[in-house]
Parts: sequence; C-alpha cells; structure tokens
Amino acid sequence: MRFSFALFLILPLAAFADSPFTGRWRLDHARSTALDGWSTCDLVITVAGPRVSLQHDMQWHSTQFSATNTVDTTQSVALPNFFRIEQRHMALYPAKGGVTPVRASWIDAGRTLRLEAETPLEISQGQATMRIYSEYRLLEGNTGLLLIELHSSRPQPLVYRFTKVPESK
Amino acid sequence: MKRFIFLLTLTLTAALTAADNSRPAFVMHWNSDWKVAGALPEKVLLLSLQGLANRNTPQLYIVHPPEFQWEITGPLCSFYERKHGVKFTEIKTAHEALTHFSKSAQGYVIWDPTVPATMNVAFTIAGLDDALVVTTALIPLVEQQGLKLIDDLRGRYTGQTDAQIYTDAVARYWSRCTHDSIMLMGGHVGAVRIPGMADWGVRQKMFFHDLSANPKHAEELALEKKLLAALAPGSIVFGWHSYGKDTEEQHTTLLSGYGLKMEGLHSLPNLSFNCQFSFTPGFKFTNHHHVALDAQLKAESKVYLSFVQSDSIGIGVWTKPGRGQIPFAWQVTMNWAKFSPAALEYFHESATPNDYFIGGLSGPGYMYPNHIPAERFPLLMKEANAMMAVLDEHIMEIMDNSAADGNVGNTDLTKETVDRYYAAFPNVIGFINGYGPARTRDLRDHRPMISYDYYIDPRRPRAEVAADLNELIALNTTRPYFLLVHVRESNDVNSLITITKQLDGPTEVVPVDVFLKLAASQKTYTTRYQDPADPKHFKGYK
Repeated sequence: MRFSFALFLILPLAAFADSPFTGRWRLDHARSTALDGWSTCDLVITVAGPRVSLQHDMQWHSTQFSATNTVDTTQSVALPNFFRIEQRHMALYPAKGGVTPVRASWIDAGRTLRLEAETPLEISQGQATMRIYSEYRLLEGNTGLLLIELHSSRPQPLVYRFTKVPESK
Repeated sequence: MKRFIFLLTLTLTAALTAADNSRPAFVMHWNSDWKVAGALPEKVLLLSLQGLANRNTPQLYIVHPPEFQWEITGPLCSFYERKHGVKFTEIKTAHEALTHFSKSAQGYVIWDPTVPATMNVAFTIAGLDDALVVTTALIPLVEQQGLKLIDDLRGRYTGQTDAQIYTDAVARYWSRCTHDSIMLMGGHVGAVRIPGMADWGVRQKMFFHDLSANPKHAEELALEKKLLAALAPGSIVFGWHSYGKDTEEQHTTLLSGYGLKMEGLHSLPNLSFNCQFSFTPGFKFTNHHHVALDAQLKAESKVYLSFVQSDSIGIGVWTKPGRGQIPFAWQVTMNWAKFSPAALEYFHESATPNDYFIGGLSGPGYMYPNHIPAERFPLLMKEANAMMAVLDEHIMEIMDNSAADGNVGNTDLTKETVDRYYAAFPNVIGFINGYGPARTRDLRDHRPMISYDYYIDPRRPRAEVAADLNELIALNTTRPYFLLVHVRESNDVNSLITITKQLDGPTEVVPVDVFLKLAASQKTYTTRYQDPADPKHFKGYK
C-alpha cells in the first residue's frame, strides 16, 4: 500500500490516460505574443503513455494548415518536419531535408511539459540552427495552458496562452 | 526609338502645359460615404460626369478626405494651383456640378443597386454613349438638366449571374470599347463600393467588369480570358480585382499570363483630370542618388539595413510623420509618367535627400514575371527601361506573388525569370525581390538581386518587430549581413526610427542604392531561385 502511494507521487500526472493536457486548446490572442502571418492557432494535445502529440491547427485567411510534433518523454526523437509557430514575415524557413532532435520531459510533478529542440533553418546566408526551449505549463483549474518559447536567437520569449475548448464544441 | 518618342511626348506636353497656365477648373470635396444605401449612387453619377466633363479638357477634380486611401488628392490640388496655375472654383452639390457640366452628356443610363454588376455595365454605356449613370432616385436630378434616357438596365439582368450579365454586355458593347485597356472595377463588394477610378474608364471608353479570376468561377474566368486575349499586346488592366470573388494573386497571375499590366487601385481618383497635365516646363526627374552607377563600395563588418515601400507612393507612408529622417526607398508606379505626371512631379518635388525612388513593380506595370510569356518579356522590359530612364531610377523592384498567400508564402523567382531580368536591365545597380520575405538571391556582374528578409506588418507591435529583426541578425552571423526590409504602406517612419534604436550589434541603415552596391562588394548571401519543391499556395492556370 505504501509502495502504491509512492508510485503515485513519482508518476507524472500527465502520464495517465486521461491527462488534463489532452484536448484542444485555443490561443487567447489578447493575452499572447502577437502572431505574425497566422490568424488563428489551436493546439491539440494527445498523451499516450510516454508519447505526446502536439498538433498545431493554424489558419491564415482561407488557408488552413496542420502540423504535428510527436515527442517521447523517455527518449530523444528526430523529427523530419518539426513545426514551430513561426513568424512568417521573417525569411526563416525549415531547412530542406533538415531533421530536428527534440527532447521532452515532464517536470513540476507532471504539470509542465518541457521540450528542447535544435531545428535547422534556411537563412539568407545559408543554414543556421535555432535552439528552442519550450515549456507547456498547465494552469490551475486545468482550463488554461501557458506556452513559453525561448529561442537561442531571440532576445525575448514568445508567450502564448491557450484556453481549453470544451469537447462539445 | 520608342524611348525617344516617349521623351518627345513628355517634352511637347510640357510645352503645351506652359501655354495652358491659369486655366479654370472646378473642385468638389467629397466625404467618406461610399455606402450603396448612402452616398454611392450620387458619387457614381458624379464619377460618370467627371469622366465626360474631363474628356477633352481637365475641368473637374475631386478632393477626398485625408483618411481616404489615396491621401494625396488635397496636396495634389494645391500643386495644380501652385505649379500649373489652375484656378479652382468649388462646387458643393451634384446639382451644381450638373449645371456646369451636363452638356458633356447626351443622356443618362439607369442602373439597379440590387444587381451590382449593372453599375459596371452602366459605366461602359456611359463611356460609349456619353451617358450619366443614375439610380431611379436620381432621375429627376438629371432630367432637370434636359437629359433623356439612353438605356435602362432595371430588370434586364434580374436573376442572372455575373457571367450571364457580362456575356450579354460583351455582345452589346465590347466591339465599341477601346481594346488598349480594360476596367476591372472590382474592389469592395456588398454594402460599400468605391469605384473611384470610374471617371478614367468612362473617359477612355473602357469595358467595365468585375469578372473573377478564381478557377471556382469557371464561366467568369473563361469570359475574362476571352477579353484579355482580345486586348492589344501590352495593354493595361486598370482597377482592381473583386474582394468578394478572387485574390490579387489570382488576378495578377492571370493577366501576367497574357503579358498585360495591372494598374490599380479601383479607388484611384482623378486620372481623367491628371492625365491632361504633364511635367512643368523645365522639370526633370533628378533622383537623390547616393552612388554612381559604376561606383564600387566596400562593405564593412556590420549589419546593413535598408527600408523600401512598394505599395505605390500615393498610399500611406509619404504623408506620415518622420519621412526624411532615415533613408527610405519608394517604388514608383512608373505608368503615372503617362497618366498622372503631376503626381509624380509632386512626389519628386517634396522628396527629401533621404527619399529615393526605384522602378517597379516587376516591369512597366504591376505584373508577375514568372508568368509573363517569354516572347513578351523583352518588349515589356524595354518599356520599363525607358520609363526608368525618364524617372532617373537605377533599381528595379520585382514582385511575384503568384504562388504566395497574401503577404506570406512563396514569392520567389525561377532561374529563367532571373536570367531574363539580368539580360533586360544591363544598366541597373541591382534588383530587389519580394513583398513578404523571399529567398531569391543572385549576384552577376556586380549587380545583386536581393530579396526581402523581413516585412513589417503595420499592426505588429513595434517591440516584436525589433525582436524579429534582432533574431534575423542573430541567426545570420556572417558580417556583413544585408537585411532588406519591406515596409507596408501604412507604417509610419517615426516608428521605424524607434525600432532601429533597439537593434543589436553594429548596424547601419543605408539608402537602398548604397545597400546594393555594398551587397555587390561581398557576397555573404546564397544564390537561390524558386525551388520547384517549394510549396505553392496557387499553382496558376496552366
């Protein structure tokens, strides 16, 4: 019995099947860093054991785009089509054929998903690597999600606040 | 030879202008009400009247409120008074305008606001039959002047699609319209419409339409293709696409495929007046060049930035605070040398040493060069070269948004297109490419082609703009780094100055001619063209 209780403390909250991270999260524009070249952003999170799927449903005018990063909290993964919420008015593009190593882990007793990625970019001078450190923080009440994204190349973090979309909608 | 004729025409017209000093004209000051259920019908009537009144002499000019998209109508009015000796008398009402100019018309045509396309059909009739365009409510106003009914479109097209309406209009009127140009009177749809360019189409007897270039509207697209194919080579499509049917990218792609030039916007006012003035006697364009064509500069180990605005200098930033405080390049709508020379002279007259003019957009009008037929390209660019010579411009700006989605996405040039530009413009300092960011880059014979690395959205918070630029600077680590910035029309220069003070590292804002000369001295950028594997938002019509 004592063993079971200890296990409960060790296992991250998000590792359970019905993780409070799971579901569709909608960007709160007013409380977030301004998007650039995107008009809407939904984040759809699925947690299945150690695998966490981060699906980005983006829209710009009539253009709809969806991209998913699936990470593993037990091991580093190499993603050939890594997606970041890019500022589309900058001449920064995913490098052709580039692969992005991504490490993921649960921290803060499972209430924060931490990602560390090194993504290759095409720039006007050739190619560069952007290190991205991200934290997906579940807020009190589990209806708010805060994404803080820090770039090795950017002097200030990008801060995105999401609100959970009720399943019926 | 064509260049010689063009120069001769300008000189002769300037001489005639001198003789026309102190000519009388009339001016109306309009409000911002373009609602179909509001003041639009009266404005439509007055636009048709303006086109007819100005057919032989410039008699009627419209001043719009400062918040109108073309904010130069007021300053340009003062310019006509000051430089051309025009003595304007104000007209306050439509009735007064009709009293002065109704003799320019032979009668009137009635359109039906519940069938929007009838406005365009009526404008076509106005040009061909010297008719004023009225709604039912305005009939008494024109009949007071003794004008008789020429045509009545009420009921003729009720229940028909736009494709059906314009097919009928083509059958009835196209053969009598000019085939050197056409009026794409689209733009705003629904409760508000702004056909500010209609005076020009009426004066020139153009065919008016707002046919769609969207493949989803197959019948409209097929009809428009027929019209475009029937235009004379090198013709101009005036106006703008319909915001409710298709995109700027689709329409410009379509007409570029026929080697035609786009000249907008649909709201551009007073061309019927402006076209009858040339440059003042003795005026010669003298650009504020900072380097000679054959100069060679040496770049230092720093970040060089240059700012360019390409949304036509008549829109936006020119009258905003701060202009002249930092180097700034302005893409000139070169065709205005033909249709609105006084406007170009006004801009040059009021330019500061930091204002530098460049040619564009893509050629002798707004075109997408990836789609210009190869056999049409040399002649079009010869025309562009001639206009750049007149306007004393040393840089050509190129934009091909055919595969882009608004101001994001693929704006690159194919290698074949780049080859054509280098062959067609042997005497330029270099080329600029893009609207949003792009990645077409080259350097041949000391002439660089540089794409925008950044586009400033006027709505983006300035702190984020500074962070974006700093991120580009941090990632492009080789020095010198050439960071070309496109400034969207409604940004103001003061905010740009604030941004430049927040940039990291050794940076310098330089005029774009200096920028290109420096970029020619040390190639720290890759050579790149449109990659067939790059995603395309719209694949074109082939």
